[in-house]
Amino acid sequence: MMHDDDFDDLDRALAALPLEAPPPSLHARIMTATVYRPAPAFRTWELWVAGTLIALCGWLAWYVFSLPHATERIAGLALDLVQQAGLTSGYTLLWLAVGASAAWWISQLTIPQPARRTQPR
Amino acid sequence: MEPPPVAAPVVDDQALIAAAAAGDGSAFGELVTRYERAVYHLAVRTLRDATEAEDAAQEAFFKAYRALGSFRPGAKFSTWIFTICYRCCCDRLAKRKRLSGEELPDRADPSAGPETLAERNDEALRLRAAIDALPEKYRAVVTLYHLQGRQYEEIATVLNLPLGTVKTHLFRAKEQLRKALSA
Repeated sequence: MMHDDDFDDLDRALAALPLEAPPPSLHARIMTATVYRPAPAFRTWELWVAGTLIALCGWLAWYVFSLPHATERIAGLALDLVQQAGLTSGYTLLWLAVGASAAWWISQLTIPQPARRTQPR
Repeated sequence: MEPPPVAAPVVDDQALIAAAAAGDGSAFGELVTRYERAVYHLAVRTLRDATEAEDAAQEAFFKAYRALGSFRPGAKFSTWIFTICYRCCCDRLAKRKRLSGEELPDRADPSAGPETLAERNDEALRLRAAIDALPEKYRAVVTLYHLQGRQYEEIATVLNLPLGTVKTHLFRAKEQLRKALSA
């Protein structure tokens, strides 16, 4: 039979026992691990999509290259594309080089900003 | 003459949880402020290791933060966070036992026998040592009981035990405590 009254002194002692103080750094540690934790670069579903696409591409590459004469056919196809785009012509290549160097030169330019006028209060 | 300072209204846990779940970091910070002491106390009494208790308390709040969306409205946050914390502690105790065979959950700590207790004059220290010397299942019940205002029902929920078992454990724990303190 349980008699809670038998434990009056003990209950009082337990009630008077102060809770142990956590280390001062605990609050900051918890906040760093939760609220201030940097968001992951990728979400889970993004990783799944990327993984699936990579696996699909891998399987496709393996399938294509395992076809008979795949290397020759792919090389021929690439050569056709290059010829259709006119990339075998020296004239086209020259203009492409000019365009690329112009783009690079423009990207290196620093345009001075005009000084901002302060608004009177 | 300046008007008297107006006391900031005390926001209840439910509102803080709702705000934290909606992304309000300061609301979660307030919940941490309210419960970190009690959670740490539960962890340190269960694990009997201050460093590991700190880790367990952090882990408990981390798990709670991640699961805020699944918190049942109307439930008590204290019950929830104590349950998470106690599970974290049990996992750590099980891991500790696996690694070293050091702690058997139902066995008392032999290092804190009556002789050791007698050497400790301070009543609080003696009581703490006596609690530490209890078997794990009794220690958890006494610790939760000691966290002011924890009712039998809440202890039963946290420890996943029937109400009757909680009462029995508490009675036996108190018996052992009284015996240890009078030794």
